[in-house]
Amino acid sequence: MTHFFCRIIKDFRSLCRNIILKGCDFLIRLNDVNKVFTDGHKVLNNINLHIQKGEFVFLVGSSGAGKSTLIKLMLKETEATTGKIVIDNEDITKMRRRYIPHLRRNIGVVFQDFKLLQEKTVYENVAFAMEVIEASPREVRRQVPIILSMVGLSKKYDLYPQQLSGGEQQRVSLARAMVNSPKILIADEPTGNLDPDTSREIMKLLVEINQRGTTILMATHAKDIVDNMKKRVVAIEGGRIVRDEMRGAYCRET
Amino acid sequence: MSLASVTSITATLLVIGIFVMLALNFDYIATNIESQVEMKAFLVDGLGQDVIESMKKNVESLDGVKTVTFESKTQALEKFKEKFNNNSYLLEGLDDRNPLPDSLIVTMISPNNAKEISESISKMSDVENVVYGKEVLDKLLKITYALRVGCLLLIAVLLIISTFIIANTIKLTVFARRREISIMKFVGATDWFVRWPFIIEGVVIGIIGSIITVLALSSVYMYFVKTLSGSMLGIMSFTIMPFSEIVIDTTFFVTCIGIFIGFLGSVISVRKFLKV
Repeated sequence: MTHFFCRIIKDFRSLCRNIILKGCDFLIRLNDVNKVFTDGHKVLNNINLHIQKGEFVFLVGSSGAGKSTLIKLMLKETEATTGKIVIDNEDITKMRRRYIPHLRRNIGVVFQDFKLLQEKTVYENVAFAMEVIEASPREVRRQVPIILSMVGLSKKYDLYPQQLSGGEQQRVSLARAMVNSPKILIADEPTGNLDPDTSREIMKLLVEINQRGTTILMATHAKDIVDNMKKRVVAIEGGRIVRDEMRGAYCRET
Repeated sequence: MSLASVTSITATLLVIGIFVMLALNFDYIATNIESQVEMKAFLVDGLGQDVIESMKKNVESLDGVKTVTFESKTQALEKFKEKFNNNSYLLEGLDDRNPLPDSLIVTMISPNNAKEISESISKMSDVENVVYGKEVLDKLLKITYALRVGCLLLIAVLLIISTFIIANTIKLTVFARRREISIMKFVGATDWFVRWPFIIEGVVIGIIGSIITVLALSSVYMYFVKTLSGSMLGIMSFTIMPFSEIVIDTTFFVTCIGIFIGFLGSVISVRKFLKV
C-alpha cells in the first residue's frame, strides 16, 4: 500500500517537474549529476544546471574545478556516475552508443587549440564537418561560403591553417562548429590562446551567433571578457556550482 | 605505410597459401587412391550365364556400390599373364586346367563402405569369398583423415595469427590519422563513416597481397610439376594435382583469406580510436 502511494507521489512529482521545465523551454538540463572517477576522486558533486534556449552562459572556475568534465558529459564523451542530463528533450544518460553522433550534430564545439586539420584548406576543414554528417555535395557548396563570409574569411578559403593567425584559425573552427547549424555551441576556452584584441573579435562573433538564436555555453578563464559581457555566469569550484548569477561577473562583487 | 601492410599480408598469405596447396594435394591424392580401391568377389566354378547376371544385379543394388564388372576365368588368366609379362612361361600349361575362379570386380563410391559391402556380398550364395586390402585401406583412411583435419587446423591458426599481425600494421596508419578521427567524432560522424575508408584500404591491401601470393606460388608450383613429371611420377602410384586445377582453387582460397584478413584487421585496428 505504502509502496503504491510512494509511486503515485513520485509520478506526480516528476509530472509537475516536467510541466514546469517544459514550460520554461530548457535546452540543457542537468539534474543531480555526479561524476566519480574510477580512482574514487569526485569530480562533479550534485550539479544542477538548467539552460534556456538562446541563453549565453559563462562557465568559470579554476583549472581542475570540473568545467571540462561537465562539457565532456554533455557531449557524452564520458558518462555521468549518477544523475540525469537532458539535452533538447532527450535524456542522454540513457542514450544508446549509436545515437551519440546524432547528439553531437546538435552541438557545435570549439576548442582552445582549434583542432583544425593541418593538411586541409580552410574551405576543406569546414566542408569536412558537413561531409561527415553525409550532406550532399550541393549543400556543401552552398553552405560553406555562407558560413565563411559570416566569420569573415571568404577571401582566405584556400589557405592552410599554418598560414593563418590564431584568431583566424579560431574563426575557421567556429565556422566548422556552426556549419551544420547546431542548437547549442559549446566553447571550451576559445580565447585561451589569443591576444586581447583578437579575443574581443571572437567574442563579437560569438555574440552575433547567439543573437541568431544559438545557445552558447562558454568555459573561460578570461576575467575581463566575463566582466564586460554582463551575461549569466556559472561558477564551479571543487566540483560544485558555487554561484549562478544572471548578469554576473568573474568574481563575486564585494 | 601501406607498403608495410602489403608486405606483411603477402608474407602471411604465402605461408597460408603453401598450406592450402598442400591441403589441396593431400585431398586430391587421397581421393585418387580411395577411388582406386576395389573389391573382388570370387565365385563358385561352373555357374550359368543367367545366374551370374542376376548376381551382378544383386550386387549393383547394394548401397555404396559404384560399378560391378564380371571377370571370367579366362580373362583373369590373361590379366595374370600380362602381369608376369616376361616370366609368362611360368604359367604355360595352365590353359587347360585354369585354377583361377570367375569373379565380380566391385568399385565403391567411398571406401568407408567397404566393410558392409563385403559382408553382404559374402552372405550371397555361390560366393566363395570376398577380398579387399582391409588393413591397408583402414590405414589409408586414417592417414588421409588426419592429414585433412591437420591442414585445416593449421590454416585456422595461421589465419588468427596473421589477422593480428595485419591489425597491428594497419594500426600505424590509423594512428597517423587519429586526430582526424577524433575531430570526425566530435562533429558527429557515425562509427561506420569513420570505419569504411580503413576497411576499403584493408581489403585492397588484402587483394594486392593475394595477387602477389598467387603469382609467386603458382610459378613455383608450375616448376615443381615440370621437374616431377619427368622423373618421379612414373614410379609413384599417384599424381599430384594438375596445375590448371590447383591455380583456380588456390586463387579462390587465398583471395578470400586475403580479403577476410584485411577486413578484420582494419576493423580491429580502428576499434580503439573510435572510443571518443
